Amino acid sequence: MQRFLNRILSYRASFTLIVFILLLIFFEIFSAEHSFFKPANLTAMARLAPDLGIVSLGVGTLMIAGEFDLSVSSTIPLCSFVFTKLLGWGFPLIAILFITIFTGALIGFSNGIMVVKTKLPSFIITLGTMLFWRGLVYAASRMMPIGIRSWLDFGTWLEKLFVGAIGGELPIQILWFIFFAIVLGAFVHFHRFGNWIFVTGDNETAARAMGINTGMVKTVCYVMVGVLCSFMGMMQNLRIESFAANQGVGFELKAIASSVVGGTALTGGIGSVLGIFLGTLTIQIIENGLILMGAPPFGISAFIGAAIVIFAILNVSIARKSGR
Amino acid sequence: MSDQKSTARDSGTTLPKGNDTPLVKMVDIHKWFGKVCALRNIDFHVNRGEIVGLVGDNGAGKSTLIKILSGFHHADRGEIFFEGKKENINTPKIAKRLGIETVYQEQALAPHVSISRNVFMGREPTKSFGFMNRKMMDKESMGAITKLGLRIKDPEAAVEALSGGQRQGVAIARVMYFKAKLVILDEPTMALSVKESRQVMDFMQQLKAEGISVIFITHNIFHAFQAAERFFILSHGEALTDVKKKDTTIDHLIEFIVSGGQEME
Amino acid sequence: MSALIRMRSLNVFVIFIVLFLVFSIFSPGHRFFSRENMKIFLSAGAEFNIVAIVVGMLMIAGEFDLSVGSILVFSSWNFYVFYNAGVHILLALFLTLCVGGIVGFINGIITVKAQIPSFITTLGTMLLWRGVTLFWSGGLQAGMELEKNPVMFKAIAGVIGDLIPAQFLWFLGIALIIALVMHYHKFGNWIFTTGDNKMAARAMGINTDRIKVICFTVVGICVAFVSVMQMFRASTFSARTGDGWELKAIAASVVGGTALTGGVGSMMGVFWGALVISIIENGLIFLRINYWWIFTVFGVIIVSTAIISKYIEQRRVMLGAERN
Repeated sequence: MQRFLNRILSYRASFTLIVFILLLIFFEIFSAEHSFFKPANLTAMARLAPDLGIVSLGVGTLMIAGEFDLSVSSTIPLCSFVFTKLLGWGFPLIAILFITIFTGALIGFSNGIMVVKTKLPSFIITLGTMLFWRGLVYAASRMMPIGIRSWLDFGTWLEKLFVGAIGGELPIQILWFIFFAIVLGAFVHFHRFGNWIFVTGDNETAARAMGINTGMVKTVCYVMVGVLCSFMGMMQNLRIESFAANQGVGFELKAIASSVVGGTALTGGIGSVLGIFLGTLTIQIIENGLILMGAPPFGISAFIGAAIVIFAILNVSIARKSGR
Repeated sequence: MSDQKSTARDSGTTLPKGNDTPLVKMVDIHKWFGKVCALRNIDFHVNRGEIVGLVGDNGAGKSTLIKILSGFHHADRGEIFFEGKKENINTPKIAKRLGIETVYQEQALAPHVSISRNVFMGREPTKSFGFMNRKMMDKESMGAITKLGLRIKDPEAAVEALSGGQRQGVAIARVMYFKAKLVILDEPTMALSVKESRQVMDFMQQLKAEGISVIFITHNIFHAFQAAERFFILSHGEALTDVKKKDTTIDHLIEFIVSGGQEME
Repeated sequence: MSALIRMRSLNVFVIFIVLFLVFSIFSPGHRFFSRENMKIFLSAGAEFNIVAIVVGMLMIAGEFDLSVGSILVFSSWNFYVFYNAGVHILLALFLTLCVGGIVGFINGIITVKAQIPSFITTLGTMLLWRGVTLFWSGGLQAGMELEKNPVMFKAIAGVIGDLIPAQFLWFLGIALIIALVMHYHKFGNWIFTTGDNKMAARAMGINTDRIKVICFTVVGICVAFVSVMQMFRASTFSARTGDGWELKAIAASVVGGTALTGGVGSMMGVFWGALVISIIENGLIFLRINYWWIFTVFGVIIVSTAIISKYIEQRRVMLGAERN
């Protein structure tokens, strides 16, 4: 029994799980009228949490490979903008879907290539690309929201696919989140490419000495982040039924926070998809719970900031204690 | 020394076959970096199942020589023969394909990744669609490690939990498993304790027992003397001497190196 | 050509002159070069420039501070509170500087003790301090009657000889002191060594932790001082101030030739780099270029100068030049 416990606790994600459960209990007790576990609140969370979650899965996996992507907060509105424009031009829905995803992939690819070729720190490169794309989106849209209802009838398959509700109750977004988590989890932890991601982030020199093309590994991860951003951009767009220039604002930090809370190391080579999954839910719960407790919106970002630092410290000290 | 030279000079693309054909033979190697001559007139060979100590101070050219052998550098002049055949080792991949593997100190293993995954890094056995065959990885990696004499039980243990000597063992077990014919160990005992260094030297004997040749690079002449059966000593890019252990003593060797080649055995 | 490369800060100076001329010539009515604009450029610009200088110093030590914008607004808030509580203005200034120093100190301590990458620590504190400020201030914008203190006012925000704003003199003074320390004092040498090769520095007995913490603290104090300067100039407290300053500060350093990996750079370079960034922002407005394009422009600047800087640095090493 002791060994079993040790084994479970040695997984980074277990720690996150414990925190997650504790937070659930905490907010249920302290939220106004115990509204935390009410169906209305849970449904709302199931609809909103996947926004951050899907992006975090990508960002966290990239962090395992040892790199950062701060440009997600610009990729999301950019893809949402492309999506909206394509709708306006009357393209067939299936084409719109693929073109938008391709846009995200292209942006991710450009990030990856730049990081690999210039060998500069990824957080600087993606800082630059974030500003670059953001400026473009702002200028192209003049920061005005664009509603999509005039071009998109109710009840199309595209809408149902992204923002429908199973049985009228369960938002499909949460299913997408779980789906991506499972697929990515299987890939990262059981596929050989996933091993390459881990060793690239852990010891890039060793990986290259063993013949692994670390540049390709990183670029693939960046493309994946771009694709997930485009997916999420569309999902959000369809949910709020418009493009908004401030979509994705702050996501780059929250995605990193989710990953760090989920046990991902900032230096690479350590992390788990399950951890990122739980980490996202934890961050969302904190946000949601604080709102329900009546905290003003400004205070929330302060908490997220503190959470990043606290969990980063905790991760490091856990790693040191368990010798892992 | 002169016998080996005469066979080398009449080279075509193959050397006369025989039981004493060296595994690898480097002939008349020269290498310049800009105006600096790193290697000059180097004739170096390693026989099958032999442990050769490549000795020299910093800047002697040891690193450059083995980098040429493992495909990281290109010799400006000279030829390399592997198993009797002339080879152009232009990339590390080619060297690996021939069976030449290098084990570096810091750069061999990913610390937070398990032993099993480290052994199969880049060469993971897969089931369908590229998903790893973890059972096989665990079994085979443990097998290779035990064969080397290491007593590690858990293939899932992270490498960073191992001692320095054990880590070298994992890296060596890896090259052994993948059928290396020539293993180059670059300063393997550098940061290790006495006991761990001894462990690594036992590993080298294990490699030899498998018929694998070893080039053991070090600037520690004492370790070289313990482990190797032949010594190739470089100084300032030139070969100082190539002598078998049975033909010399440690004191002679030290004198020789210190005097810069003045004192012949 | 090799001489040009050796005088790295000369490049930046040339860029500055070129930009100055371009904006002067191409702005409508040459209004860029007008007396009013020059005053603004020198006074408001000095605020950012001071921040850029200290951030540059920290980058040479090998660390980043993304929280400077938040320290700025937090310090503003502190000064506002102290002053309105009836505290004597000098004491208010002193307390503000102290709090700024403490905030910087916290950044430093967390980074070195918990061994977290500084950009994550300061990402967290960036959210934290701005959130705290927004929370306490309720996002207000409030006027302050600082003219009631004519001596202080003249000292901090006055104009000498109707031409040179006091802020610019403060900037020159601070830049000079830091430059002297960095390039002529042994502490400065320790900063360079710490950033260049931490291991080697420690082996030589340099207490790299202490150096980094000191640098972070200095950043905190200087940013706090700038916040007071800003409030004297604008006579208001605004909860929005400092937004985006961290990126501009990094850009200024990179443009000035500071390496992103630490250990390389010069105060002269950062000096001109800061002026280049200020002038770009100021000038783009004058050229009637849309506000949004500024993001894109900064993105391009950050990435391209980082790449060019790295390239130049490699050539310098090959030509045997010192790190400057």
